[in-house]
Amino acid sequence: MTAVTRARSAAAGLGGYLGLAALIAIVLVLVATGVLSERRWGPFGDVRVWRFILEGLLVTLQIGAVALIASLILAVPLALARLALPGPLRWIVVTWIELVRATPVLALILFLTLYMPRDLVSSLWAATIALTIYTSAVLAEILRAGILSIPRGEVDAARSLGLSYAKTMRLVVLPQAFSRMMPALVSQLITLVKDTSLVSIAAVSELAGYARSIHSFYGNPAETYFVIACIYFAINYTLSRVARRLELRRAKEPPVALPPELETAALQSPP
Amino acid sequence: MFGQITFDNLEYFVQGYLTTILLSVGAMAAAFVIGSVAASVRVWGGRVPKSLAGFYVEFFRNTPLLIQLFFFAVVLAPNNLGITADPFVVALFGLSIYTGAFATEAIRSGILAIDPGQVEAARSLGLSQLATIRLVVLPQALRTVVPPLGNVASALIRNSSVASAIGTRELLFMGLLVANRTFSLEPLIGVLLGYWSLTLTLAFVLGRLERRLAFAR
Repeated sequence: MTAVTRARSAAAGLGGYLGLAALIAIVLVLVATGVLSERRWGPFGDVRVWRFILEGLLVTLQIGAVALIASLILAVPLALARLALPGPLRWIVVTWIELVRATPVLALILFLTLYMPRDLVSSLWAATIALTIYTSAVLAEILRAGILSIPRGEVDAARSLGLSYAKTMRLVVLPQAFSRMMPALVSQLITLVKDTSLVSIAAVSELAGYARSIHSFYGNPAETYFVIACIYFAINYTLSRVARRLELRRAKEPPVALPPELETAALQSPP
Repeated sequence: MFGQITFDNLEYFVQGYLTTILLSVGAMAAAFVIGSVAASVRVWGGRVPKSLAGFYVEFFRNTPLLIQLFFFAVVLAPNNLGITADPFVVALFGLSIYTGAFATEAIRSGILAIDPGQVEAARSLGLSQLATIRLVVLPQALRTVVPPLGNVASALIRNSSVASAIGTRELLFMGLLVANRTFSLEPLIGVLLGYWSLTLTLAFVLGRLERRLAFAR
């Protein structure tokens, strides 16, 4: 890659930030010239409103972080079970993964928040568990694809060197599978961050829920949702750039045929 | 007996089920059109249209559908742009634009997978650029694009449930309505069965289609 093409691709990657900056600049100009209502946009010049938004953002990030870590921990046994368990047991795992992936996340969240006994599990935790169930099933599939992409010969080599199955997995297969699934993992994280907004429907207040408080106080729903959308965009676009960079780094490694779940993951983050 | 409540309120479920199907089919058709146009612009457009299409994809792909639907519900409402207050139309509009961003990326990758020699050959045979895109590139791109577009469609069916938040009377909305009325959670199981029937059928059909297309190539 020459310096020019590298600079050009870096600039292309920044397109989203430039677009966001242009969008904000247009809004600012339109407010200053009086085309857009000062009363409705004014609150977003107030530090206290931003402190409030930041509070909501922290809840969003907490839900996302807990769900991500829990899903990663759950995805490993799910993927290994689907690969290694004997017949009937494996079918139970396959059915679970496929059914969960075929379920709308919102339905899953409402199902759990309404079903869980309120005095044992708060709505916040029920919703986080729902997001974890969904994300772990998706990550299990990504991880399975990663494991399957490791050449069979590596497993055979490790086993014939005397490593147990568990050690082969832990020391040889999983580390490589994880590094291969990184772009797809970051893409799934974007989906997770977006899905946390659904939690607000189940009466758990995070960024989207805080947005409702703001606009019902100031009477500016369109403006508030625009600002909140920009915040989600800033986070997720940054994540998508990370995914793309990981993918480019991967592309430099010797070429290995990847299963479709892992191919061009950053290009097509799951909807 | 289990299932009794669902059967007693069957007309709600049928209505919601049909609305979900209508919403998904309509939004997928619109998303496909948006995706074909935007992907063409992203590949062959001039600098400004290209970056605008790129920003459209990045912005709508990276923001939650829920926020987009709330935004459109407010903006399209009679006291703003005055276009519509019907939650079904708002949901159709929002889902189309959201899904269109994903469809754009799927179709674009299909276009980029085509050998540039094809375009050169078509152009040197005297076809205009538009005719080349329409007659040579897109028909071939659509074939490679079936699996990723199928995933987009499956996600769309599941995402259509978010429309319940703005009051669209689709499957999840109806299920919650019945659940509230009967103080029972059984209707939600009916809702899950409804979504599974749709997404799993789609997955089955797509699997067969993929196999057929693989042979045809």
